[in-house]
Amino acid sequence: MPEVNAALGSAGVTLGFVASVLGALTLVAGLRQHHRTGRGGDGGRGMLWLGRSFAWLVLGGAVLAAVAMEIALVTSDFSLQYVADNASRSTPLLYTIASLWSALEGSIILWALVLAGFLAAVVRRFADQAGDPLVAWATLTMFVVAAFFFGLMLGPADPFTVVSGAIPADGPGPNPLLQNHPLMAFHPPILYLGYVGFTVPFAFAVAALVTGRVGEGWLAATRRWTLVAWGFLTTGIILGSWWSYEVLGWGGFWAWDPVENASFLPWLTGTAYLHSVMIQQRRGMLRVWNLSLLIATFSLTILGTFLTRSGVLDSVHSFTESPIGPALLAFFGVTVVVSLGLIGWRGDRLRAPGRIDSPLSREGAFLANNVVFAAFAFVVLLGTVFPLLVEAVNDDRISVGTPYFNRMTMPLGMVLLFLMAVAPVLPWRKASGELLRTRLQWPAWAGTGAVVVAVVSGARGLAPLAAFGLGAFAAAAALRQVVLAGRASRRRGGSALAGVVGRANGGMIVHVGVVLVAVAFAAASSYVASDEVRLAPGESATLAGHTVTYLGMNEPNRTSQKTVFSARVRIDGGQVYEPALNQFPNATQTIGTPSVRTGLTEDVYLTLVAGPEQPGDPAVIGVIVQPLVAWLWIGGAVMALGTILAAWPGERRRREAATTDAEAPPGEGGDGDDDDDDARVGGEPAGQRAGGTGPVGGDRPGDDSGDGGDASPATDPTPATVGGR
Amino acid sequence: MSGRPRLAWSALALVLVGALVVGAGGDDGPRTNAERAEALSTQLRCPTCAGQSVRDSNAPAAEAIRTEVRRRVDEGEGDEDILAYIDGQYPDSLLLTPPRSGLGSLVWVLPVAAVVVAVAGLVVVFRRWRAEPSTEVSDDDRRRVAEALTGEE
Repeated sequence: MPEVNAALGSAGVTLGFVASVLGALTLVAGLRQHHRTGRGGDGGRGMLWLGRSFAWLVLGGAVLAAVAMEIALVTSDFSLQYVADNASRSTPLLYTIASLWSALEGSIILWALVLAGFLAAVVRRFADQAGDPLVAWATLTMFVVAAFFFGLMLGPADPFTVVSGAIPADGPGPNPLLQNHPLMAFHPPILYLGYVGFTVPFAFAVAALVTGRVGEGWLAATRRWTLVAWGFLTTGIILGSWWSYEVLGWGGFWAWDPVENASFLPWLTGTAYLHSVMIQQRRGMLRVWNLSLLIATFSLTILGTFLTRSGVLDSVHSFTESPIGPALLAFFGVTVVVSLGLIGWRGDRLRAPGRIDSPLSREGAFLANNVVFAAFAFVVLLGTVFPLLVEAVNDDRISVGTPYFNRMTMPLGMVLLFLMAVAPVLPWRKASGELLRTRLQWPAWAGTGAVVVAVVSGARGLAPLAAFGLGAFAAAAALRQVVLAGRASRRRGGSALAGVVGRANGGMIVHVGVVLVAVAFAAASSYVASDEVRLAPGESATLAGHTVTYLGMNEPNRTSQKTVFSARVRIDGGQVYEPALNQFPNATQTIGTPSVRTGLTEDVYLTLVAGPEQPGDPAVIGVIVQPLVAWLWIGGAVMALGTILAAWPGERRRREAATTDAEAPPGEGGDGDDDDDDARVGGEPAGQRAGGTGPVGGDRPGDDSGDGGDASPATDPTPATVGGR
Repeated sequence: MSGRPRLAWSALALVLVGALVVGAGGDDGPRTNAERAEALSTQLRCPTCAGQSVRDSNAPAAEAIRTEVRRRVDEGEGDEDILAYIDGQYPDSLLLTPPRSGLGSLVWVLPVAAVVVAVAGLVVVFRRWRAEPSTEVSDDDRRRVAEALTGEE
């Protein structure tokens, strides 16, 4: 009964598409009714209720499609073209399940499934505000995006195409690189959760523009959604680079490959947004900029998918070429044009009077942060598409590779590390030089200490030393904030652990994670030593103080999936490691499996470059020694942990923090700019949170008390927002 | 500001500069021929594989280029000459560093120009903010406040 899977899957896709379209149309009808009747009568509430319910049908369709495909994969239903192309009877179960995202059509199913999940979650979360036009427009936007992705599966990327002619008895299985490490089962879904998760804040941004409620309510409503998406994207990127390190056999973890850049671009703009949004919540400023960053983040996920899935760019990741390029490019264009059009249309409401008093302030540092992140994203985007541009203009084929990206982004990374050290200790509004000198003294000594320790232990080169120094500087500044916040919480009778919970404090933990990654990146790429040695059994070679001894080959291990030829190599007279070459039945090239001795200070990375011609002949062993690589993964874990802490509901302390924190330095200890918990969009006209002097969105009066600054909250101009219609 | 913090910061600056001078002074780039050859092979794209450098690839073509680079390094040829020679052997450019002249130079110039413009823009904005110490209240704003106070729109 092979046709069942194809039928079920197609039914799921059709259901998802139809439900998305119907949901969108019903919401449009409800919104029109609401608009016409105003507050009187039903106000379109019934239609809006009905419309949102379609989200569950969309989810049902996506689940049905995904389940049908998984059943087809697991039961080796080769009547489906996708299964015939990407599965084989000999592939282990884990990789068969992961085949859902090993090629284009399947990964669109995953995309649609994740999107439908987010859609259902939004509908559930805002169930009690279903009659609110802002929520309705956000849901509508998500329906439209969902309709596009289900539409892709109905048209150019149909995963449930049935093979023409005889049904093959077996298939080639996934690309060998994709069935060589269990991380393949986790990296893509987690990355997609991040990618697709940014649809939620984007949808609310569009809704805010359409309804004209561009005040801060929608920001508060989507704060945690954005954090969650960002956390998944971060984790997905780090897992991807870990996979690359463990599988690809070149000892690297980041190659500025177009697919990597495609995931990194929304991360950059999303990170910029997470920072600049705080200025808007505090001061009501930068509305257009923040909306643009969200729109850019969402558009870049679409553009990235286009670049990497349409085959326009060469990439080790472009496992497939497909006709979905034009559709994705068109969707990207429509997104950008519509969003920018909305911003232009709402220009008058987006103007927020207000100013930043001094560059030497928290908001000044966030502005600088945004300039650097924008420049970073620009460099990465330009470098990625530049070969295309040049080829289009004069038919030249040039490459823009790692040397370019490293050289251009290194100074930007340094500036970011510096800002990470300075910004957290800066108060809002205005700071004096003396305040900075006091607060930054210990972090500065930590940075200097790190440089001294690095130089004494033999590290050379200005760039890596600067990275270590600035990294320690930033980490110490972050830890200082956490300690102060913990102390402040204890003084209030709370737990010192509260010092790591909440947006500001969790953010500091994220900073520590970023520093770990940056320092590890600088160390590993600056002090890598690698060599290929030809060793007869029993012979040794030495590299960077490590001795590797080739002991001989194991018996080839033949399974139905692959044949493994592994060497036995002893490192430093201790444990034996077994780098291997894998021969997959349907691939001509052999795929290496590196073997790594991981340590907190250094990794020794072994590859089997070439096995012996005859038993007992020499083998060629690749040896790579890199310091601190493990800290990339540890840093990634710390970033994920910090994100969870930042999204965790903190203790409610905004008001008492302002009044009881008299002895703490201003703006310090239990940073108050935190936690718009249980944020509701609010049926009231927006702008309610934007008030410059209110206890919720405005400045805490305690903030400036000790600065000797002349900026008083009373002069804070209330952003002019007009809500409702 | 009292004298003690100033002293502490001066001491810090002294230690930092000292450490950086020692640390940066010891860095004289790749020393051995093997290190030079490896550094060069990171600058070249593997002609047969997608998006990998010659150093990172095990493809036969990359293997061959590595051998050729090493041979020329051992013969004492200069870095630029070696890169130019290898690049000339193939129809498409193998240099991973985009050219610094012609159309290709835009990839270097544009980001720098963008940053300069952005920073200049920020400076101008801060100047303007400083020039007008308090925000003007427009008639529009007054009307909005009045509306808000009367509770009507």
